[in-house]
Amino acid sequence: MTLLAAAGTATLGLVLAGCSGGGGGDGGTDGGTAKLEMQTGLGAADPTLTVLKDITKTCTPADTTIDLVPMTNTYEADMKTRMASGDLPDIWSTHGWSLLRYSQFLEPLNTQPWAENFNKALAPAMENKDGQFFALPINTDVSGILYNKATLHKAGVDPSTLTTWDAFTAALSRLKAAGVTPLSSSSKDSWMAGNVADFMASGAFSDADLEQFTQGTFVESGYKTMLDEVQTWAKAGDFNPDFSSITMDEIGRGLGSGKVGFVFVQNSLANTALQQSPDAKLGFMPIPAFTGSPYFVGGEGTAYGAWNKGKHKKQALEYLDCLAKPENISKMAKALGSIPGLTDATTDMGPLQDSYESVVKPGTYPLHPYFDRVYLPNGMWDTMVTTTGAVISGQSQPSAATAQMKQQFASLYTK
Amino acid sequence: MTVADGRHTRRRTRGGPSTRSPRRTARRETGAPFLRRRVNLLYLPAVALFAVFTLYPLVSGVLISFTKWDGYSPDRTFVGLANYAHLFTDPLVGTALVNTFIYGFGSTILQQVIGLALALALDRAVRKRRTGGRNLARAIVYLPVLVSPVVMGTMYYLLFSYSYGGLNDTVTGLGGERVAWLSTSGSAITIIVIVNSLQFVGISMVIYLAGLQSIPIMYYEAARIDGATGWRQFTGITVPLLQPAFATSIVLNLIGGLKLFDVIRVMTGGGPGYSTDSMSTLISKFYFDNQNAGYASAVGVALFVIIAVFTLALNAYFNRRRLEIA
Amino acid sequence: MKRALSRTGLAAGLIVACVVQLIPFYITLTTALKPRTDLSSQWLFPTGGVYWQNFQTAIEDGGILRAIGNSAIVTLASTILICLLGALAAYPLARRETTGNRIVLAGIIGLIMIPPLSILVPVYTLMVQLDWINTYWGATALMVAAQLPLSVFLYASFMRSLPLSIEEAATVDGAGMLQILFRVVFPMLKPVTATVIILTSVSVWNEYALSVFFLRDPSVRTTAPAIATFFASQGSDPNAAAAAALLTVIPVLAAYLVLQRYFIKGMVAGSEK
Repeated sequence: MTLLAAAGTATLGLVLAGCSGGGGGDGGTDGGTAKLEMQTGLGAADPTLTVLKDITKTCTPADTTIDLVPMTNTYEADMKTRMASGDLPDIWSTHGWSLLRYSQFLEPLNTQPWAENFNKALAPAMENKDGQFFALPINTDVSGILYNKATLHKAGVDPSTLTTWDAFTAALSRLKAAGVTPLSSSSKDSWMAGNVADFMASGAFSDADLEQFTQGTFVESGYKTMLDEVQTWAKAGDFNPDFSSITMDEIGRGLGSGKVGFVFVQNSLANTALQQSPDAKLGFMPIPAFTGSPYFVGGEGTAYGAWNKGKHKKQALEYLDCLAKPENISKMAKALGSIPGLTDATTDMGPLQDSYESVVKPGTYPLHPYFDRVYLPNGMWDTMVTTTGAVISGQSQPSAATAQMKQQFASLYTK
Repeated sequence: MTVADGRHTRRRTRGGPSTRSPRRTARRETGAPFLRRRVNLLYLPAVALFAVFTLYPLVSGVLISFTKWDGYSPDRTFVGLANYAHLFTDPLVGTALVNTFIYGFGSTILQQVIGLALALALDRAVRKRRTGGRNLARAIVYLPVLVSPVVMGTMYYLLFSYSYGGLNDTVTGLGGERVAWLSTSGSAITIIVIVNSLQFVGISMVIYLAGLQSIPIMYYEAARIDGATGWRQFTGITVPLLQPAFATSIVLNLIGGLKLFDVIRVMTGGGPGYSTDSMSTLISKFYFDNQNAGYASAVGVALFVIIAVFTLALNAYFNRRRLEIA
Repeated sequence: MKRALSRTGLAAGLIVACVVQLIPFYITLTTALKPRTDLSSQWLFPTGGVYWQNFQTAIEDGGILRAIGNSAIVTLASTILICLLGALAAYPLARRETTGNRIVLAGIIGLIMIPPLSILVPVYTLMVQLDWINTYWGATALMVAAQLPLSVFLYASFMRSLPLSIEEAATVDGAGMLQILFRVVFPMLKPVTATVIILTSVSVWNEYALSVFFLRDPSVRTTAPAIATFFASQGSDPNAAAAAALLTVIPVLAAYLVLQRYFIKGMVAGSEK
């Protein structure tokens, strides 16, 4: 048993060496200090986290410490587990779900002093019918199709002319001829595959069709038309061959280094691309529509809410009020490379600023909410992701995928 | 605990494993202290721990499997056996079950073959008294065991990656076309089996090496005098005397392979589609992505039953084999 | 001649095996030494000199050193309990073979099979009620519960191979149950204990699927969840992750080299000398 004895001694040694005992449970109050947990929704190496840390130094209320927890790739599962157990962080990042998934656990924030500056473009995504919203919007997500300017230029493609899917499809062929992967997406980082359908579906239906969705009818024709287009690209070999296994990080690398033409993705991918290719020139363009004119999709970006049953709700709200100051929101939005969520902050989109100036700021193109958030019942996102992925990888036909969506819609729709 | 129905004593047979011969005696609670009922108190701490941290959650999990639940909201609807009924007709579960067995048995076979071959080579080296290089080789082969499977899977993903992987850099350097290693289910499953096997082959190797070194050298010398060649020696002496090592190694590898999770998540995420999912990764997808916790729990219960039956059967088989070779 | 050939073949085979096993570590090393902007092949070392920033990122942003300390604490505490409780539980199950005990043993071996994620939510709820989230105790309890079945299985099969005569002789000398256990049986368990330590401590050290849920707080987080913070769904950093991974391998490797001599002896669990 000498082994065990040695191990025991070593343990003692370690504990004595100054590794204090386990961190107390959530919301522990040690020595009159309130300890808050904040799930930042940002990776440990994300530059935005550094900005948030600096702001937090100035925003932490008296007698309070705030633990900024970096996210892992299991963040959503982690939050679902915590909702099930009634053990939530004091403040957490709502990653687009402040209303539909988290609102029953979040403190309404529409009565806070900064609420008058709430960007109304976010209302469809974040406000309930009583005008309550549940998270402080750091930025307004305005997403389109991200591209590498130099790559498109070299292939002779002018993004400003791509106002129809036909033009876009023709551009894909030109990129392919130029030896570039025209479109890149991933079913391993599966939200990227979901984006393809989600971005396109918003422009695939007439207003009357959309009304039908809200009334509980799944309109197959528009959805199938959209998937047919996706299948056309897939069959032409426009998608990356490693669609099933590529990571978001690699897609960013391809976009930055000129190997990839277009990505249907939120602008945060620009940061990933620029970290690896700092000199890349990136832009984003509105999404062509099947019916109507081109548009952007968007809504809630990064946003932070406070737990309505948290022990330290007072301090959490105090902290959020400070985070809502225009200079702080401006800094955070700039780090995220997007438009601030409050109207009194200044917009600096960094590397995407000129795209913003030319296609967003004039207000020519409408901002549609993400299709699944408004027109599909909760729980359908995953079906949308897997059916789209199956069409892209050639495992499923648009008609079958549409039928699966319709069936899932019927089983999940509640008045 | 019921009254004892008999007890076993062991006789050691020279060189071979012990045997058990049941001796039926009506026994009162006297005799050796380690045979009295009181001795059962010794497993109370372990059983108590299981009761709290494993059995109670397991029962809760089974209860969830009779409901329709999204995994986080307060309301659950009781649906009886509907989840189980669905399970038998679900092609995704069928595919995942087949994959689970491929991962389990594929890895196990590969690990035994490579592990035993390496152990034989190292054993030969040590009998020739060349231990320096041998210790180094043993440490290097064992090295991946010390790394978290998540990390190992990521390292191997970097290697097999289509656009930026080292392997494709080599292929294109030799004038070939890039290969999408992980984009077809067949090659992706093969690669996952290989990665899992390579990571844990060190365990099999060390077990076999220990087994080989406990075989007295005089057996081989006697066999050589009788004119037995290398292969005859291997089948006649080495294999039978390695039985316990086989049992330990196979059971450990099989458990690891059947429970495979992290490597699949990192390398393919179960794709293309669901074609490389194992039961474990499928459960996690149903639970967290699909928001179908009731169904996920039912699949979990099914998986537990399948693997438990398998392992117990295997264990019983090896126990019986141990008796036969004595 | 033939003999020389076979010797060369053996050596070549071993060398190939070593090279294959080192490949992933090699590309991890080259990745860890490059900045994110270096997009050269993984086979190549960085051309513009070594970039140590990744290690700094791993230590400062990822809190990797702290995580290694946390992993050490949880692993040592868990391993001690896994060995002690496992040996205690295995003794009656190996020596007093009643029907009831056979069922208990089969049940415990069956527990090895539970997929951890299928009991995640109930376990999490329980941990919240105990207020054991983000504590060393909570993590240790979970790890012990997860690894103990294997420990019981290994101890029980080893104990069955031990001769009864020694225990019987001690009984004749008037020793009680606990005396026999601690003075006679436990000293004979050294080899199998080494096996149990080797197999379970590595699993605990590298555990990810559960740790990532139960240890979130950077002050108590273990290594696998700490590395995972470089794989966030937005903003991952494979280079820092590679550096972090290498840093976490060093302590285990050191422990392995120190304990190596117990290895071979220990792995003979269940087989006779």
